[in-house]
Amino acid sequence: MEDNKTQIRQGITAHVIKTNSFKTDLIAVFLTTKLSREDVTKNGIIPMILRKGTSTIESQEELNKKLEEMYGAGFDCGIDKTGDNQVLKFYLETIDGKYLPQEEDLLKEGIDTLLEVVFDPKIENNAFKKDYIASQKEKLKILIEGRKDNKMAYANLRCQEEMYKDTPYGLYKYGYIEDLEGINEQNLYEHYKKLISECKIDVFVSGDVDEQKIVENISKNPNIQKLNEREPIYNKKDIEFQRHEEREIIEKTDVTQGNLAIGLVVEGLGKKEKYTGSVYNSILGGSATSKLFQIVREKHSLAYTAASNYLRHKNSIFIKCGIEIENYQKTLDLIKEQIEDMKKGNFTEEDIKSAKTGIISVVRAIPDEQDVTITYFLGQELAEVKMPYNEYEDRIEEVTKEDIQNFAQKVYIDTIFFLRN
Amino acid sequence: MKVIENKNVKEKLYIEKLENGLTVMIIPRKNVRKKYIIYGTHFGSIDNTFMLPEKTEAERVPDGIAHFLEHKMFEQKSGVNSLDALTAMGVNANAYTCNDHTAYLYSGTDNFEEALDEFMDYVQNPYYTDENVEKEKGIISQEIKMYDNQPDWQAYLNAIKCMYKNLAINIDIAGTVEEINKITKEDLYLCYDNFYAPANMAIAVCGDFEPEKMLEEIKKRMVNKEYKEIPKRIYPEEPEEVAQKEKRIKMDITNPIFVLGYKDKPKGDMVKRHIAIQIALGTLFGKSSKLNQELTDKNLILNTLDPEYDYSNNYAFALIIGMSRNPDEVIAKIKQELENAKKNGLNKEDFERNKKKLYGDYITEFNDVEETAKNFMVDYFKGVNTFEYLEKYEEVTKEYTEEILRELFVEEKSVTSIVE
Repeated sequence: MEDNKTQIRQGITAHVIKTNSFKTDLIAVFLTTKLSREDVTKNGIIPMILRKGTSTIESQEELNKKLEEMYGAGFDCGIDKTGDNQVLKFYLETIDGKYLPQEEDLLKEGIDTLLEVVFDPKIENNAFKKDYIASQKEKLKILIEGRKDNKMAYANLRCQEEMYKDTPYGLYKYGYIEDLEGINEQNLYEHYKKLISECKIDVFVSGDVDEQKIVENISKNPNIQKLNEREPIYNKKDIEFQRHEEREIIEKTDVTQGNLAIGLVVEGLGKKEKYTGSVYNSILGGSATSKLFQIVREKHSLAYTAASNYLRHKNSIFIKCGIEIENYQKTLDLIKEQIEDMKKGNFTEEDIKSAKTGIISVVRAIPDEQDVTITYFLGQELAEVKMPYNEYEDRIEEVTKEDIQNFAQKVYIDTIFFLRN
Repeated sequence: MKVIENKNVKEKLYIEKLENGLTVMIIPRKNVRKKYIIYGTHFGSIDNTFMLPEKTEAERVPDGIAHFLEHKMFEQKSGVNSLDALTAMGVNANAYTCNDHTAYLYSGTDNFEEALDEFMDYVQNPYYTDENVEKEKGIISQEIKMYDNQPDWQAYLNAIKCMYKNLAINIDIAGTVEEINKITKEDLYLCYDNFYAPANMAIAVCGDFEPEKMLEEIKKRMVNKEYKEIPKRIYPEEPEEVAQKEKRIKMDITNPIFVLGYKDKPKGDMVKRHIAIQIALGTLFGKSSKLNQELTDKNLILNTLDPEYDYSNNYAFALIIGMSRNPDEVIAKIKQELENAKKNGLNKEDFERNKKKLYGDYITEFNDVEETAKNFMVDYFKGVNTFEYLEKYEEVTKEYTEEILRELFVEEKSVTSIVE
């Protein structure tokens, strides 16, 4: 299964992923732009405005009715950070015609509808509809304020924010409450027009489809035709980052369980070492056989969750752990011991084999989920690499113990964040 | 093997009951690399009291034991931890416990048969010691505390507590720190020996398999156990009325969560009932509903309301879940909408559209090998074959749906849980 790309116009690409493993066809549109303090909140609110209606679909209610008529086509939109870029994401999923009570083609309708939502919004007096702005600003405010509600995710988020303070990646993907006041229907519409004329645009379709027909559907779509060609403005490389000397940040709130998040930075990496990073992370805390899981959870019964996660784009690793508050120091010492152990090479060939098998198994399962496949190819598109699954597997297989130990020498603790009462 | 086919979704179920009583379900699927198996027992958190055959006095085990047992299945006498062993083979292994069943599972693209050895071995061979039971108490205590910190789980559990006076569904699946500390290895063996007997269990598999061959692979790995009678479970008598109208708790959150619950009970054709309730809830509270539009426009709710219906052989309830800064106002509006629908019936167009949507939802559930196999197993413990949803779908009329609506959504059966 591969990503068949067609350039529709400079900066606008159609991707068709042909597969017959699913009952559904998935369509996705991604708008990629630079993550910046100035625009982060405006971009955060745009998907929320666009889903409210289009030039021909009067309201969100009408849009939802239309989707339900299409046997409950799924629609979703949102915001993500991918490295130092902000990506506005829009998805529409239709049932493949073969599985309907009477066969019909919902896919073209799906493509047209999604493109209309993204590129042909409801406009009044050369601005977004006024009452949408007010209600969606309020909604975004609630969303931003609610980020504290899931404590473990919040501790992790705060750790990242502190670590990447004053760099694009330290920005919160939905933006900031203080920006909301300055946003109105005119300036947001102006911003939107600028965004869609400058950003990178990728349209993906995955399913049991006719590639040529799909490319034609996309390129002849009037909402695509009205877009200009562009030299897309986005970050192809992440901005250099100055790490901190190891530090502890403690935040107090009303919790019964303490949440520990530790940000590790990996410095001076070669390109190929990203694969080593995946294996390193898997041994440290990426699986049930990992050091963190085995030592912190199984041996010392300190936690239920004890895991780590490797952010390839940023060359950083984040550890998370839910513990009794009084066990903070003990847990921290144990975690540091595991990081030291990695440096000393205290892990076995068996650990490496198990880590590799786990990673490869995840890579092999990518084609079994449509949205995961699309995300995989979008990541490659943005990083301007082409890496078929089997090549990815080979790179993982090549990693040696020496590579991992070398990698371990470049790992530094940057920020220790503890959320407690 | 018996073969059941569904023409809509174009899938086949191969099903067989082995001599020892175990039910095996195989759903072959071409063009996918991932394979998935789930091995479950019809034993969950509500099964805390039972009568052993030939005994006269009931056994009462500590709350949270089904979940504790699940945690302790991975440790083997050889010192091997099966979760580690399976992970090392590159498959993704896990287990979970619910109110009415416990399940062990793994998925993977490679080494499926090799993993099957380890998998079937550990589920069929428990190894509990005083020491390993003691050790688990610390881990599970942290898991319980993690749930205590989760506002959505607390809101859900409190709604259940309001509805159920006696049935142990009103206790956290993991139990309480106090109760799990009482658990001994003898308790665990007692539950294992009686409820992990083949006749109380089922296996469901989905992936690129030859069904007959897969069945042989499973049979060959069965530990030789005689057919064994399952103890009679004793459930306390549960009144039709709710235990308590309302629970409100405070947590450190900015967006309050509310759960409006309606207590139902299993009766009649539960598949049809389930379909009807899903269509009704979608029509009244789904994304295109007038109420959703109104609440969203006024920012009274943060996301679309989330209505759901859950049932087993022993309980049934509908829940409407949402996030709102003014939960009382939203709940009042929901109740008003239900009253209007009971009085005036459902709008025909809205009903038909939501019915169509539900068809798409059922088809989409077959996208993923994991979801497919899991649905068949979970439904099996309820006495249902998952295809029945697609088969009975056409039979559900607007009139039938309105009848259920009038019967279920009455004020006396409603409860409210709010976390603010």
